[in-house]
Amino acid sequence: MKQLLYKEFKLAINPLYYLVALLSALILIPNWPYFIALMYFFFIAVPNIFATGKASGDISFSVMMPVRKRDVVGSRILSIIIIELLQLVAAGVFALINSVMYPGGSNLLDPNFAFFGFAFIMYAVFNVIFFPMFYKTAYKVGIPVILAMVVAVVFAAVVETVVILVPAVQVVLEAPQYIGVQLGVLAAGVVIFIIANYVAYKASAKRFERLDL
Amino acid sequence: MDMLKVTNLNKRYEKFHLKDVSFTLDKGYIMGFIGANGAGKTTTLKSILGLVHADSGEISVLGNDFAQNEMALKQQIGFMFGGVDYYAKQRMSAVTDVVRRFYQTWDDAEYQRCLKKFDLDENKKIEELSDGMKVKYALTLALSHKAELFLLDEPTSGLDPVARDELLELFQELIEDGDRSILFSTHITSDLEKCADFITYIENGRIVASETKDDLIAMYRIVKGAKNELERIRPNLISYKKHSFGFTGLIKTDNLPGGMDLVAEAPTLEEIMIYHAKKEADNETAVI
Repeated sequence: MKQLLYKEFKLAINPLYYLVALLSALILIPNWPYFIALMYFFFIAVPNIFATGKASGDISFSVMMPVRKRDVVGSRILSIIIIELLQLVAAGVFALINSVMYPGGSNLLDPNFAFFGFAFIMYAVFNVIFFPMFYKTAYKVGIPVILAMVVAVVFAAVVETVVILVPAVQVVLEAPQYIGVQLGVLAAGVVIFIIANYVAYKASAKRFERLDL
Repeated sequence: MDMLKVTNLNKRYEKFHLKDVSFTLDKGYIMGFIGANGAGKTTTLKSILGLVHADSGEISVLGNDFAQNEMALKQQIGFMFGGVDYYAKQRMSAVTDVVRRFYQTWDDAEYQRCLKKFDLDENKKIEELSDGMKVKYALTLALSHKAELFLLDEPTSGLDPVARDELLELFQELIEDGDRSILFSTHITSDLEKCADFITYIENGRIVASETKDDLIAMYRIVKGAKNELERIRPNLISYKKHSFGFTGLIKTDNLPGGMDLVAEAPTLEEIMIYHAKKEADNETAVI
């Protein structure tokens, strides 16, 4: 597993895609739907990483190594999770700067703890749809990535819409006196992210094991 | 000692069926795995490694059940499937740096020795290697992790005659000390005349024969006769071709009838393959 992870970062994933994390700088835009800053990860990085993998014969190479097939899936999912976390850490830094720059907040959801809770859920939604669909063939990237992307975008759009339409929700998600609720959303987001990834791994590994390569 | 034992391997696809494939490869020998394109060579090799799920059958490597000891046994297997075409844009050194971490028995000194011997420059990108060099690189990796069983899928196809000859000599060198075995698939029968000790012949998913090269050739005879002889001998022939003077056909040596005016001679491997393939084609026509 350790060796496969090394392979992911040494051979399979072009370091260029870590730079997508820097697009979190878009969080510095005032009054903006900040989820978009986090979406570039699955707009750019995921389709490219998987398409490159296909072109470079990554899967046929990996399964030849003395490893279990499910570890090939596990290492790839783990490496994507690592890049997602990198993206969120970078976003966290820019969110801090945002809170200093715009003390009055924005009309949409501010990049606070609750925002990051929803961001974790957005990535969870993407992962739990994309990975099991992709590993059904371990070849077709297009439809799985588009479907996962659409559902994740719809999720973020629903959150933002509710924030705009229901002022009480915005108050609870942003006002300092409700920090407990906001931290609760973050915690729930992390828990959902962990569970969704575990489910995504289990389902993907099971489907990949069944494939004739 | 059995290096590789395949027993009753079955795999059914919609239009193709691998039927009861069984053969054994002893330690210290080279086995050529021949058959036409689509006969089931690659499917068999992939099933051995568990990349294709067989419907039934058993694989054992060095006396151990492969399915139960997959991780440990894969450490001892060197492989090459359809050329080294992974990570074409990467340098050999980068690929090696990844591969070596997977093998407990990796020997860097041996790796350097092989690079030198095969004249490989590890700063080259995979895509810059010729087909012959790609095979040598795959062998270098296998030798460096002390593989004992080499599974090579068509290592000689695409090579020029000089590179092919060189590679076949190398195969013989590899098994000289008796610790390694090579199973390589090919459809180029002259490869086998040069270096195979055993030949396993697969046709349309079924093993026709798995014998020493000499025994396989002794099993068959090419018979030539006049047109009027054909009717009598036809049921015994595997298949035949008619021409203006009469016919030429392949027959099992045991089925050779006495008292006929026939010329019977030893076939080449190519002839054995061609006449078996013709039989399959004739059968299919008959069904239609």
